[in-house]
Amino acid sequence: MMKPVYILSATAISPQHSFDPAGFLQPVMSSDNNKLFVQDPDYTKFINPVAIRRMSRLIKMGISTGMKSLQDAGITTPDSIITGTGRGSMNDTEHFLTDMIRMNEEALNPTFFIQSTYNSINGWLAMQTKCTGYNQTFVHRGFSFEWALMDAQMLLNEAAQPTTILAGCFDELTDDYFLVKSKVDYWKKSPVNSLELLNNIQTKGTIAGEGVAFFTLSNERHNASCAITAIKMLQNAEAEEISQAVNEILTQSKLSPADIDLVITGRNGDAAREYIYDAALKNIPEDTTIVSFKHLCGEYDTSTGFALWLANLIAAGKEIPGICITRQGTNGILKNIILINHYILNSVSIILLQIPQ
Amino acid sequence: MEDLKVTLKQQIIESLNLQGMKPEDIDDNAPLFGEGLGLDSIDSLELMVLLERNYGIKIEDAREGRKVLSSVQSMADYIGEHRKI
Repeated sequence: MMKPVYILSATAISPQHSFDPAGFLQPVMSSDNNKLFVQDPDYTKFINPVAIRRMSRLIKMGISTGMKSLQDAGITTPDSIITGTGRGSMNDTEHFLTDMIRMNEEALNPTFFIQSTYNSINGWLAMQTKCTGYNQTFVHRGFSFEWALMDAQMLLNEAAQPTTILAGCFDELTDDYFLVKSKVDYWKKSPVNSLELLNNIQTKGTIAGEGVAFFTLSNERHNASCAITAIKMLQNAEAEEISQAVNEILTQSKLSPADIDLVITGRNGDAAREYIYDAALKNIPEDTTIVSFKHLCGEYDTSTGFALWLANLIAAGKEIPGICITRQGTNGILKNIILINHYILNSVSIILLQIPQ
Repeated sequence: MEDLKVTLKQQIIESLNLQGMKPEDIDDNAPLFGEGLGLDSIDSLELMVLLERNYGIKIEDAREGRKVLSSVQSMADYIGEHRKI
């Protein structure tokens, strides 16, 4: 069994007001066009004004979120930087590819190319923090962030010394990406108000989103309010396998379904994927509180990052916003949280979080 | 030549995203790299792309490129002599 991975700080830029946790999801933001874009904070507080002029939106989001996470944890230089992204900087990639066609593969801007690479944000963060340690970006579609977390978990488990890792995820939404994926039925055919998404599960598809989340992780507790104790991933799993996987993760952690105080689900309003959550929640008692989040951030490859940020804040004592509660259970002392998420094409992840007592 | 320099400064500002800067803020003879505008090596590549796209000029020799890109004046002089479009 893996040792706990303590979350020393969590920061997110999302379609909600999340960068400053003082305004925890207030006011709640929504959209009516099946797209949720992030609320941009003031990036100049975290990035050198000379460097910022060349950066695309996602790069600015990634650096600011990563730097703020470290700042909140009181860390200047982490031992490692590990991230996950499903698509990297889409905007730069689209610019670069469009220019290739327009300019007949000649006279191409270097900036778009450099920033279109998946590990560009890691490079910037390493330079800014002077981190010369292990630096890795996982690009595995709906499991990108989960693999980054698992890699961090293994490194922290093996470390003989106190170690800190900056782990994060980033994905951005562009109009072209939305258009392309609408052709393969990712999104709902008719416009849906995002806050009504979970009341619209009669039809297929969901709404698109984007976001960045970074976490400072450690093998030492310090003042962490939450720890990751288990991570499991399932690809193309049948309902019964998902249900079994939840039981397995609980059994391995010497817990029963009744020990779970809060379930966070990635329900996304897609009628074709509801069975995943029905299966996952099969053995969870009726009085357990269930929270959902995709009506707040939309669907994207690394939305688990937003869910983990939300879980960490709830674990730290923030009141669960009513807009997130799908089922209000019995209020008790919060000890165990299970996070169940899936991404289009059936990537299902289960993460167990425990609050150090 | 004066019109060319103003156009060139505008193109540099747009290409390098020099936020808050206007053509009149750039001195014709001030160095573009180091002390002047403080541009870096990636900017020099962007300026080479600018010359190729807007004036059909390809600079193959790095030493020549360094001389051409030293200031707006040197860029304008070179464009005046070598432009193809």
